[in-house]
Amino acid sequence: MSWIRRNWTPHEADEWTKEDWIAVVLSPFSYVFITFGVAMSLFLLPIGFLFLGLGILMTALMFYVIDPKLKAVSESYERKQQEYLKELEKHQRWEE
Amino acid sequence: MVHFTGLDYFWTIAYLVLMIGCGAVFYRLGKRSGADFFLAGRGLPWWLPATSNFATHTATDTPMWFSGMVYRHGLYGMWYSLFAGWCAVSAWVSARIFRRSLAGTQAEWATQRFSGLGAELIRGWLAGWQVAMNMFIAGWVGIAMGNVCNYLFGWPLWVGLVLFSSLCCLYVITAGFWGVIIADVQQGITMFIVIILVSIWAAMAAGGPSKIVAGLYNLGMSEMLNPFRSTGFAKGDYPILWLITMIAVPFLGGFGMATHFDWFVEAQRIQSARNVRDAGYSIWWGAAAVIFRNAIWALAVLAVVVMTEGKLSGDEAALAWFKVGFEYFPVGMVGFFFASILAIHISTIAGILNLGSMYATRDLYHHYINPQASEDKVVRVGRWMTVVVLLGSFFFGIMIGKDIVDWLFFALWLMIAGTWLPNILQVIWWRFNAWGYLSAWIANLGICWLVVWILPAFGVIPNDLPQHIQFWILIVLVAMVYIPVTLLTKPDDMDRLVKLYVQTRPIGFWGPVKREAERRGLLQALAEIERKAETEAKGA
Repeated sequence: MSWIRRNWTPHEADEWTKEDWIAVVLSPFSYVFITFGVAMSLFLLPIGFLFLGLGILMTALMFYVIDPKLKAVSESYERKQQEYLKELEKHQRWEE
Repeated sequence: MVHFTGLDYFWTIAYLVLMIGCGAVFYRLGKRSGADFFLAGRGLPWWLPATSNFATHTATDTPMWFSGMVYRHGLYGMWYSLFAGWCAVSAWVSARIFRRSLAGTQAEWATQRFSGLGAELIRGWLAGWQVAMNMFIAGWVGIAMGNVCNYLFGWPLWVGLVLFSSLCCLYVITAGFWGVIIADVQQGITMFIVIILVSIWAAMAAGGPSKIVAGLYNLGMSEMLNPFRSTGFAKGDYPILWLITMIAVPFLGGFGMATHFDWFVEAQRIQSARNVRDAGYSIWWGAAAVIFRNAIWALAVLAVVVMTEGKLSGDEAALAWFKVGFEYFPVGMVGFFFASILAIHISTIAGILNLGSMYATRDLYHHYINPQASEDKVVRVGRWMTVVVLLGSFFFGIMIGKDIVDWLFFALWLMIAGTWLPNILQVIWWRFNAWGYLSAWIANLGICWLVVWILPAFGVIPNDLPQHIQFWILIVLVAMVYIPVTLLTKPDDMDRLVKLYVQTRPIGFWGPVKREAERRGLLQALAEIERKAETEAKGA
């Protein structure tokens, strides 16, 4: 899946890209398919197993797409977090 | 009435000792700072807040309304439970933005997102509203426990309300959010095991899954197995418009913040996660566990439908899941089941008490009353505020009595109907300002009463207007107030917006703010710093 980008610099990962939108679209579908897939599978209905399979597939694909980007965003943000926390406390105490 | 054996008492008492013990074990961590007392130090791996999300969102009243819905509508009733679907989108959008803001509460976010007097008014309002709302939620969950204890032991309603919430309060006061999160993990695992066990017992009692399906067909209720049934676009019991509302509201709501009352609870867990990725994962997996739980519950409820031939009244159906546990579990396991109900109850109450206390302490006391308070003082006030929220919950709980459902729906309406869209706009549109947001809240409070209670009482609109129609009416009416207010007042201070943009990178229509940040060289400077840090890291 060469059209899915899996290597990110922190600066590039900060932008909203198609990988975010793919995750945003897949995520609700995976919830719906898992909800009804699990319930209908418990009643041994064949369509339930199909839904469940689709739900698992979508979930796996979603994490495959979004995880590298989230890792890059997290690593980059953590470097600046302490500075932001200091500013937050200044605001809390009306010092800015 | 249920008969307890010695082993049943053992399970119950052992569980309570374990929960209160958490307070003692995590006492030292909880008192280190305000961030520890309310956010467990902001360093948790994703699975801890995820389990806590699951435990907090499985309250005593949850199996009641879920059983009622599925008993009445079959698998179609599960759409009601998909309100948790906002987490599907929020995990990758608003949770990421909120985590980057580092705001402890939604009220604190308001003073980062908006500027000037309007921002402070919103913060004060949201904080006060959340203190009251958390008292109310703890009250209605508490009175649900009162109902369960009334059914089990014949106790007066107030005993179940006061006794278990007070015991729970002990470990929340002692260890703060550390106690809440660790106890939630134990409670989450306990309740998940019991939910599976009860469902298996129910299915076995009804003869197994195939027999349940056959039973539904024999009763002429096979439609119960169809989650996609419809009676036309806007009419009948299963209109497509309702389904569209139930899908659009949660999933689109994930782009915003506070589009659902659960957001306020999740926001605390988002900030307790150790980084942006873990925050998103905690939200996604917490809600995934919730929908997985619902699917398992559905098995038990439909088993009860077959066993009772669908003849239970609404009140009896609401207790269907509890009845399965108490009537079909073997001797000695009833106490284990009761302990798991306590887990369900206490995990919600604990989270709510700590959250209410956080708004009272962080946003009201620390920001407005004593900004120079030491960390030690903040923790002490946090403990007192926990007690205040507890006492408030008793007041609301006794006031609600047994009419839980009406109150619940109206409270949800007050929270989300007219403010749903403004809560999305505050994230995706830079021009939406403090006065627009404030006016939306005020308009919603007034129009909500009008649409839900007053106009139907005077016959201006039909008395039986479906709730999804009420929702869209409220969206339109409230928008007629806040859109003009926004456009007729000045945008928020550009310095504030640029700062927020650089720190949180919100999604949507932020073009002018982004260009201003670029003009000031802020984005380029950040990129340069990141490049250097990466080069140094590679070199090392």
